[in-house]
Amino acid sequence: MTDRDDEGRKTARIAPWALLGPGMIFLFFFFFLPLYTLLRMSLSSSESRFSDPSFTWEWANYTEAFSQFGEQFFRSFLYAGAATLAALVIAYPLAYVIAFRGGRWKNLMLGLVVVPFFTNFLIRTLAWKTILGNEGVVVSVLRTVGFLAENEGLLRRPIAVIGGLTYNFLPFMVLPIYVALEKIDPRLVDASRDLYTNTWGAFRRVVFPLSLPGVFAGSLLVFIPAAGDFVNSYYLGSTQTTMIGNVVQNQFLVQVDYPVAAALSFVFMAIVLAIVTIYARSLGTEDLI
Amino acid sequence: MSETSGTVTSPGGRVGRGLINTAAVLALLYLFAPIFVIVLFSFNEPKGRFNAVWQQFTFDNWLHPFADQGLVDALFLSLQIAFLAMVIATILGTFVAIALVRYRFRGGNAINYLLVLPLTAPEIVLGASLLTLFIEPNLILFNVQFKLGFTTILIANIMFCVSYVALTVKARVRGFDWTLEDAAMDLGAPPVRTFLRVTLPLIVPGILAAGLLSFALSIDDFIITYFVAGPSEQTFPIRIFGQSRTATPPQINVLATMILVASITVLAVSTLLGQRRQRKMAGG
Amino acid sequence: MTERRPPRRSASRPFPPMGAMTSGPLTRRRFLERAGLALGAVAFGPALLAACGSDDDSSSGGSGGSGGGGGSNDIAISNWTSYMDKPQLKVFAQATGISVDYREDINDNNEYFAKIRPNLSKDQSIDTDGFVLTDWMASRIINTLEWAQPLDEAKFPNKANMSPALANPAFDPGRRYSAPWASGATGIAYNISTTGKEIRSIDDYLSAPGTKTALSEMRDTMGLFMLSAGADPTTPSYAAAGPAFDKLQKAVDDGEITQFTGNEYVGDLGNGDIAAAIAWSGDVAQITVDNPDVRFVIPDEGGMLWSDNFMIPYTSEKAAEATEFINFFYDPANAAELMAFIQYISPVVGVADQLRTIGGEAAELADNPLVVPTEEFLAGLTIFGSLDDEEEVKFDTRFAEISGSG
Repeated sequence: MTDRDDEGRKTARIAPWALLGPGMIFLFFFFFLPLYTLLRMSLSSSESRFSDPSFTWEWANYTEAFSQFGEQFFRSFLYAGAATLAALVIAYPLAYVIAFRGGRWKNLMLGLVVVPFFTNFLIRTLAWKTILGNEGVVVSVLRTVGFLAENEGLLRRPIAVIGGLTYNFLPFMVLPIYVALEKIDPRLVDASRDLYTNTWGAFRRVVFPLSLPGVFAGSLLVFIPAAGDFVNSYYLGSTQTTMIGNVVQNQFLVQVDYPVAAALSFVFMAIVLAIVTIYARSLGTEDLI
Repeated sequence: MSETSGTVTSPGGRVGRGLINTAAVLALLYLFAPIFVIVLFSFNEPKGRFNAVWQQFTFDNWLHPFADQGLVDALFLSLQIAFLAMVIATILGTFVAIALVRYRFRGGNAINYLLVLPLTAPEIVLGASLLTLFIEPNLILFNVQFKLGFTTILIANIMFCVSYVALTVKARVRGFDWTLEDAAMDLGAPPVRTFLRVTLPLIVPGILAAGLLSFALSIDDFIITYFVAGPSEQTFPIRIFGQSRTATPPQINVLATMILVASITVLAVSTLLGQRRQRKMAGG
Repeated sequence: MTERRPPRRSASRPFPPMGAMTSGPLTRRRFLERAGLALGAVAFGPALLAACGSDDDSSSGGSGGSGGGGGSNDIAISNWTSYMDKPQLKVFAQATGISVDYREDINDNNEYFAKIRPNLSKDQSIDTDGFVLTDWMASRIINTLEWAQPLDEAKFPNKANMSPALANPAFDPGRRYSAPWASGATGIAYNISTTGKEIRSIDDYLSAPGTKTALSEMRDTMGLFMLSAGADPTTPSYAAAGPAFDKLQKAVDDGEITQFTGNEYVGDLGNGDIAAAIAWSGDVAQITVDNPDVRFVIPDEGGMLWSDNFMIPYTSEKAAEATEFINFFYDPANAAELMAFIQYISPVVGVADQLRTIGGEAAELADNPLVVPTEEFLAGLTIFGSLDDEEEVKFDTRFAEISGSG
C-alpha cells in the first residue's frame, strides 16, 4: 500500500515535477520572465524616440514616473476603493438573499448574476455610456429632481467612472460572499437569532463575521482589477479622471515611451504583490487555491 | 432550509426583510440594465456612424447580422485563438493540478502561491510585461525574435488561462479518492493504464469545466491581447475598441445578443436538467 | 455526488474563499454556463463560414487578417475608417484582378506607429501592403526611419492627375514614396442648439456652454491654439508656442475642455452630448446631413490643413499591386465617386467636374468648399510646419501632460 497523507497524497520526488514541468516552464517564460523584462525596461532609456531602449540603470525613470503620474496612481486607488465599497454594498444583500432565501432557485439566481457578463466587457461599458449620456433617462430624471443642473451631465466625471468600475466587477464580489454565506450552518443562524432576539443582532455578531473571508476575497478580486483598468475611464471619463491603466496604455501604445510606463507598471505590480502576499499569509495559501 | 427564513415575525424584522429583498431586486435590475440597452439597440436604426441614440425600430440588423465583414473576421479570429488556447492551457494546467493534488513534495506550497500570481496580477501589467518581452531583440539565452501577431496573442492567452485551469481542476479533483488507484494497481493494472482508465474518467468533468472556463476567458480578453497584438490582427474585442472610436455598427449589438441568448438557453436547459436529475435521484 | 467540504478539514483551517469560488455547486453551474458560451460560439463557426462565403462584402479576408491575402496578387491595405467607398473595391478587383483585404485599423497616427514600430524595426512584416498616415508621420516613416519603399512608377500613370499643390511636398519631393489620399481641414464643429450662439473663434469655443472636446492629434489642437495665441504654426517652436500651451492648459484646468478624442466626438456631437469640438471637416460634413444643427467653421484666426498619405512599407512584396491600387483612385471618375462618399478634399485634379457629371447630391458637393475648396477657403488654412526630433519631444510631452494621459 502506498504511503498517503491525510489528503490522499503520495510522497514523491520526481513524478510531480515531470507533470508540473511543461506548465510551470511556460509560466516561467511568459509570466515571470516578462516581469523581469519589465523591470529591465523600467531601468532603460533610449537614445532616440524610435529605437528600442537599452538597459542603463536609469533610476530617473522611477522618479519621473511619480512626478508626472503620481496623481493618476493615487486616483486609481481612490476610484478602485470607492468601487470596491460600492460593490460591497450592492453585492451583499444580493448574495444574502440568494444564500438564505434562494431555496430551489439558488442556482438560477446565481446564473442570473453571471449571465450579463457573457457580453463583451467593452460592449457593456459602451452601454453604460448610452445610459448615462445626456440623452438618457438617468440624466433626465436627475435633472428634473434637481441633482444635476440644466447643462450638467454624468459622463466625463469621476462618478461615471466609479459606476462603471463597480458594475464591471460586481460578480467578483457577489460570488465569494455568496459562497461564504452558503457555508454557514443554518442552525447557527437560528441559534443566534434566539440568543440576540432579533435578526439584526444575529447578523451583526454571527453571520457577518462568518462571511468576512468572502468579503475579503471579493474585495481583493474587485480592487486589483479596478485599479488597473483603463477602459472605464476611457469611455466614461475625461482627462481629469485618467488612471494608471490609461497612462500605461497611452505611454506604451501611443507615445511609445516604454521606460517610464514600465516603471509605473512595475511599482503597481509590486504593490499588488504585497497585497496578495499579505492576504495569502493571513488566510492561508493552501486554501487560496 | 426553511428554518432560516420563517422564524422572524417582529415588525422590525419584517421591514428589514423587505428592505433586503428590495435591495437584492434592485441589484439584479442594476445588473441587467446595460444588457437591456444592448439588446434594445440591436434593433436600432442609427442615423449617424454611432449607435448611441435611439432613432427607430428596425429588423434590418438582425436580417444582416454578418454585414460587417471586419467584425465577423475578428470574431472568427477570437474563436480560433480561444480554441487553441483552451486546448493547450487545459493540457498544461491539468498536469499541474494533478501534480499538486496527487503528490506531496517539497515546493508544493510555493507552487500553489506562484500559481495564484498570474490570476491576481492586473491585466495591464500582464500585457505591458509581455510586450516588453516580445520586443526584446535577444532573449537572454536564446536568439528568439518574436513578431507581434497571432503567435504572441496565442501565447498571452495561454498564459493567463493556465492558472485558471490549474486552480479549477485542483478544486474539482480535491475530493478524489486516490485509493481507487491503489486498488486498481493492486489488481494488477500498470500505472499508466490505471491513470487512463480509472483516474482520468473521474476527473474529466473538472477538466472540461476548466477548459470551457479558459475558452470564455480568452474570448473576452481585451487588455492583454491589445498590448501584444500586431498591427493587423484584430480580435473581436480589439475590433470593437477600434470601432467604438470611429463607427459602431449595430451588428456589434446583434452579435453580442446572439452570444447572450445562446448562453441563457443553455443555462435554462441545464437548470431544468439539474432539477429533473434531482427529482429522479430523490424518486428512484 | 455533491461537492462537499472534505470531511477532514479541521476547524482551525482558514476558509477557502477563492478555492470555493471554483468548487462546489458553482463549478457545475459554471461548467454548464461555459458550455453554453462555448456551444454558442462554436455553433457560430459554421454559421460564420457560411456567412463569409455568401456575404458579398468588399474584402476577401476570410481568415482573421493574417498575411496579405491568399491569392498571388492579393494585397492588404490599412486605412482610417470612413475613408473608403466599399463597392469601389470590388470594381477595382474586377478591373485589375487584385483582391483587397481592406482593413480599417488606423485610428490615430501615434497609435498605429506604436503598433508597427516593433516589427518594422526588426525587419519583420506587418502584414500590410499599404497604409495611410498624416503628413508629419509620413515624413517620419519616409525620412527619419526610411521604412517606406518607392511606389512603382510604371504602375502609376494617373500620378499626372495629382493636384500641383500637393505634388512636391518638402518631406517627399516628387512624390516617390507617397501619394496623398485625402486632405481635410481642422476647425471647430458645434451644435448650435446646445451652444445657443454662433462660434467664430477659439475664444468663442472656449466660452461656449456645455461639454467641449479637443483633438488628441497634437498638431491639430495646438495649431488652432497657436493661431489663436498669435504664434505661427508654419514655423513652430516650443518657445513661441508657450502662450498657446498655457491657454490650453487653462482651458483644461478650468474644466472647459474635458476630453481629447480621435474620431469619437462625431457621435456625441450629433446627439447633443458635446456642445463644441475641435473637429475634422469630412467628419462634420457627414453629421450635418443628418443633423443640421451641427455646423463647422474655420476659426477667424485660421484653421489647419492636413493630408493623409498612402505609403508602402519596405517589408511588402507587392509594391506593384499596391501602386495599382492607388493608381485606381487617381482616376478622376473613381476619385469623384470616392469623395462623394467620404466628403474630404480630393488630391486629384478634375474631381469637381466629375462630381457635377454624376449629378444629384454629388453635384452639390462640388460647390461645398469642404470638399472642393476655393482659393479663398484655402487662404484661411495653414499647414503645421515640421519639427525636429528635440522640438517634437517637447511638444508631445507638454501636450500629453495637458491632455491628461502623460
